[in-house]
Amino acid sequence: MPVADNLLGFGRALRRAGVPVDSSRIALAQQALVWVDWSRRGDVSDALEAVLVSRQSDREVFHELFARFFQAPVNAGLPWSLASSGADTQGGEVPQAPQRALDALASAVMLPPAPPESQDQDDEPAIDARFSASQRAHLQHADFRTLDAWEYRQVERWARDIRSAMPTQPGRRTRAGTRGAQLHWPRALREAARLEGEVVRLPKRTRREQPLPLLLLIDVSGSMERYTRLLMAFLHAATRQARRRDVFAMGTGLTDLSTAFRHADTDRMLAEASRRIPDFAGGTRLGPALQDLLRGHGRRLVGRRTVTLLITDGLDTGEPQVLDAALAGLKRHTGRLLWLNPMLRFGGYQPLARGARVLHRQVDAMLPVHNLESLQSLAQTLQRLLQV
Amino acid sequence: MTSIDDLIQALQAEGYEPDRRLATAVFLALKLQRPLLLEGEPGVGKTELAKALTRVLQRQLIRLQCYDGMELREALYEWNYAAQMLHMRAALGAAEPDQIEREVYQPRYLIKRPLLQALQTPEPGALLLIDEVDRADEPFEAFLLEYLGEYQVSIPELGTVQALARPVTILTSNRTRDLHDAVKRRCLYHWMDYPDRERELAIVRRQVPQASEALSRQVAQVLARLRGPEWADQFQRHPGIAETVEWSRALVALGRQSIDPEVLAQTAGLLYKQREDIDTLSQAAASVLQPA
Repeated sequence: MPVADNLLGFGRALRRAGVPVDSSRIALAQQALVWVDWSRRGDVSDALEAVLVSRQSDREVFHELFARFFQAPVNAGLPWSLASSGADTQGGEVPQAPQRALDALASAVMLPPAPPESQDQDDEPAIDARFSASQRAHLQHADFRTLDAWEYRQVERWARDIRSAMPTQPGRRTRAGTRGAQLHWPRALREAARLEGEVVRLPKRTRREQPLPLLLLIDVSGSMERYTRLLMAFLHAATRQARRRDVFAMGTGLTDLSTAFRHADTDRMLAEASRRIPDFAGGTRLGPALQDLLRGHGRRLVGRRTVTLLITDGLDTGEPQVLDAALAGLKRHTGRLLWLNPMLRFGGYQPLARGARVLHRQVDAMLPVHNLESLQSLAQTLQRLLQV
Repeated sequence: MTSIDDLIQALQAEGYEPDRRLATAVFLALKLQRPLLLEGEPGVGKTELAKALTRVLQRQLIRLQCYDGMELREALYEWNYAAQMLHMRAALGAAEPDQIEREVYQPRYLIKRPLLQALQTPEPGALLLIDEVDRADEPFEAFLLEYLGEYQVSIPELGTVQALARPVTILTSNRTRDLHDAVKRRCLYHWMDYPDRERELAIVRRQVPQASEALSRQVAQVLARLRGPEWADQFQRHPGIAETVEWSRALVALGRQSIDPEVLAQTAGLLYKQREDIDTLSQAAASVLQPA
């Protein structure tokens, strides 16, 4: 059946474009087509969309591919033709088509994703052996900016291994315990059943501790270059248990890294992040970037409990008033706003730059993140600060 | 319900104006017997659709409002422990332990929460609205999987409860977070946008019949501009359909036949709920009303 073939091909193209479509979806799409009038192209598109798309961000790609796969009438005898073969020939005509859709259509030239750099892993034991105990102690306190390439690589590995307990607070879920306001009936009943119906003790529902939701805002400007990669690796590993973690890179614009951070593997996360950030090691305009965050992603900052970690050196080239207003807006939407500042490497550091002054006034606390030792103490400090 | 057009007409008769894409998704959800996940900004009419659909289908609406930390016992079922305990005490000595145990775990000691109620509603079945599912946490989504996939739930003491009649199931999400793929895979999906001008006008006409035609048109036009590319960036939140209707009612109550900058500034608080947004609109009232 030609429609079935076309749907399979269409499904494959969607998959290549990163839309999660499996064979059960295709089967469902076939069933869905039974119910719509094929002479109405819009209905067919709507029906396939309802079945095959499950994310708003995939809709544009879907429409682009649908338009190319199932072309407008070319033959008056047919309501509209199913012509998958024409897809490739039209490739270059619409330059504004989403890159994902174009990539998916040009499958022949698609390369597999670059494999993780395997030679690094082979080298790793050798690197480790290069460092004696005293060198390790030295690196513990060394500013990340002063490291050579080998040291940087090694310190990054160590940073990933820092285990930290993220701040928690009592959640809405409960477990059986001895303290609490509510009775734990299932357990009371079980115990009573064991003692012939006698209730000798009243087990309570205790609130479970749950990790606080996190919002990570990472400055990826040129002045932060030496810190960014290392801190991203550290935060990726250290905040793994966060119940919810939204991550954005701030340069001249705003890049959403939340999906990149969902990769379990830190190397893959870093590769994906650097692919996504268009303005890596460029300038910073924190104010406008934060405004974009509030406008475009305000809905994600729901919890007043969200802990926001702002990672920047405060060397901002934007207007201080804009930054001030944006920070005030951010504070209204989140619980705590903490500034992780690598500039604290200087003993007598004072936030004097224009942006830094504004930041210092608005944030709840400023914490150092310039060497391994400061990263190790970060988690404890966080817990302490948030219990106040 | 035999076609998309029938469904559109039926929904319109119940006071809901669907666009054709939405009607197609709902129609397929009914025909393929799949849950329908509606995502969109607050105030685009997700919950209203479920309400209108219950009236069209003449089914009972069962609503499960989700919230953070929601647990199985609040969504599915809970044993009536106090009654069980009383029964145990009363039966003690009079009956065999085995018998007491059997008696204690009977359906009559089961407190049915929305999911179970929906499954046990006899023909024509219920319409289950799982509202704002993004507010619940991820463990809760896992509870839903069996229900969404098979229309059944397992209760350890009783076994599997199958649906008497498959409930029409609608999930809504404001997308404060992404739902798990396992949930999405079991549902049809529809992204709900703000209505275009024509649809908004139809809604105002239907919901606020007292408003003059000229006023309704102007309302729809102003809303379309405020959400349009020219102005959208100036505001943190966009007004939803509920705000449109509320604003139209307010203009009627003020005896307005048309909108001028003054009244727009005065009633800004009906459209926007954030102080900054209200300020922005008050200051820009004149230019918002200027013809493009």
